[in-house]
Amino acid sequence: MNLTLKIWRQKDKATPGKFETYEAKDISPDMSFLEMLDVVSERAQAQGQEPCAFDHDCREGICGMCSLVINGVPHGPEAATTTCQLHMRKFKDGDNIVIEPWRASAFPVLRDLVVDRTAFDRIQQKGGFVSVNTGGTPDGNAIPVSKLEADLAMDAASCIGCGACVAACKNASAMLFVAAKVSQYAHLPQGQAERSRRVLAMMEQHDVEGFGSCTNFGECEAVCPKEISVRVIAEMNRDYLRATLVGTDP
Amino acid sequence: MEDVSQPSPGISKVVSRMHGSTIGQKALMAVSGVLLIAFSFGHMAGHLQMFVGPEPYNAYAHFLQSLGGIKWAIRFGLVALTILHIFSAFQLTMRNRAARPIAYASNKWLAASIGAKTMRASGGIVLFFILYHILHFTVLLVGTAGFPPEDTYKLANGLMVDDVYRRMVISFQNPALALGYVFGVGLLALHLSHGIQSALQTLGALNSTYRPLVKRVGPALAGLLFAGFASVPLAVLTGCIK
Ligand code: SF4
Ligand code: FES
Repeated sequence: MNLTLKIWRQKDKATPGKFETYEAKDISPDMSFLEMLDVVSERAQAQGQEPCAFDHDCREGICGMCSLVINGVPHGPEAATTTCQLHMRKFKDGDNIVIEPWRASAFPVLRDLVVDRTAFDRIQQKGGFVSVNTGGTPDGNAIPVSKLEADLAMDAASCIGCGACVAACKNASAMLFVAAKVSQYAHLPQGQAERSRRVLAMMEQHDVEGFGSCTNFGECEAVCPKEISVRVIAEMNRDYLRATLVGTDP
Repeated sequence: MEDVSQPSPGISKVVSRMHGSTIGQKALMAVSGVLLIAFSFGHMAGHLQMFVGPEPYNAYAHFLQSLGGIKWAIRFGLVALTILHIFSAFQLTMRNRAARPIAYASNKWLAASIGAKTMRASGGIVLFFILYHILHFTVLLVGTAGFPPEDTYKLANGLMVDDVYRRMVISFQNPALALGYVFGVGLLALHLSHGIQSALQTLGALNSTYRPLVKRVGPALAGLLFAGFASVPLAVLTGCIK
């Protein structure tokens, strides 16, 4: 298949970028989107042009490294799918495809389609963990967790930190990401000891990083490759307000 | 983990978190919105007495006017809530704009409802509608053409009160005013079709059990409010209320 690509090119953080158009000829429908970009980059390189930079790692849909806003949708047109798992058969011969980086002031573009997502790391470092003092390993089933609560925690924990929720949000809010990281512990006994300080500290960092505020449109949930529900945002709001108004940790 | 919660937060910390954080500001917006919605429902229910007749409606209006201090406290509260609602909306909007300095070249909506996408426009127009409404029926400054100079009504108990019923009828017999009011409350309903569920989500009232329900209850309540408010001008316009 033959495609016309409009790709965002930007030399570095400081230089303003612009779109450039590429003809992608003889693309196999069985290629993944990233393989298609590999081919286009290789051909450009063979002609002495700079290849286009984009993020990727596992290419299995589990690491959260790949990104790209494809025709206005983070991770492209297929629901619950990362860009690396998106295949060219989802497109038609002759399609025009616009490829842009995640756009948020908290995710500055480093080069072309690569953005700096370390803001997520800094949020995580504020409380996306449970503090465990050293000592003997506890018995596997010593603390009972109901199946329902375990499932809710696991659903939240499947967030891969890709940032598509920020990219899709018209306010560039990272609420879905932060809420997933807060919710996964809120449903487990191990998370209770630091429940209030976790949500306060992580949200404080969210705001410091310059992410926007949630207007409950649900765009994040629609693009999340791991189908994290905005249910986690409601839970986090409740935890945050409780922690603010009355709460201290036990 | 850095402990930012203990010991007990203290009132200044509570205030700074509520007004200085995104969730706190959103909660202020949600709470003020919910209280204004509650007022709207009471207001709407009161107006439905127009269907019963001039006697109960004018008696009700007179009762409200005679509340004195309570009346002013409610008025003051409503103004304060409105200012809080608009102020937090403004601050959050500014923040959100700054969070995405470069817009997408192609942008596709996947989930947002029409009510959600038009929140700012509907909210802005509703504000002007409410201001007009106050100048019209409370201050009697605009849209008063045709109001009789001696507009009092004699209640069954002999008390002479303002004939608010007559003013409503005269106003809404003017098609421009009647349709203008229907349009205004229509935009209010559009605003609330997203606003109600958004407020509940922001206040953390939705869990997986209630979310699907509230997603429908929000628009349904907005529709109910619209039907109640719009019925009066439409009934006058079509001659059902004279
Ligand atoms: S919530 Fe979903 S979209 Fe957001 S970072 Fe996690 S996996 Fe990605
Ligand atoms: S490259 Fe790992 S999720 Fe796409």
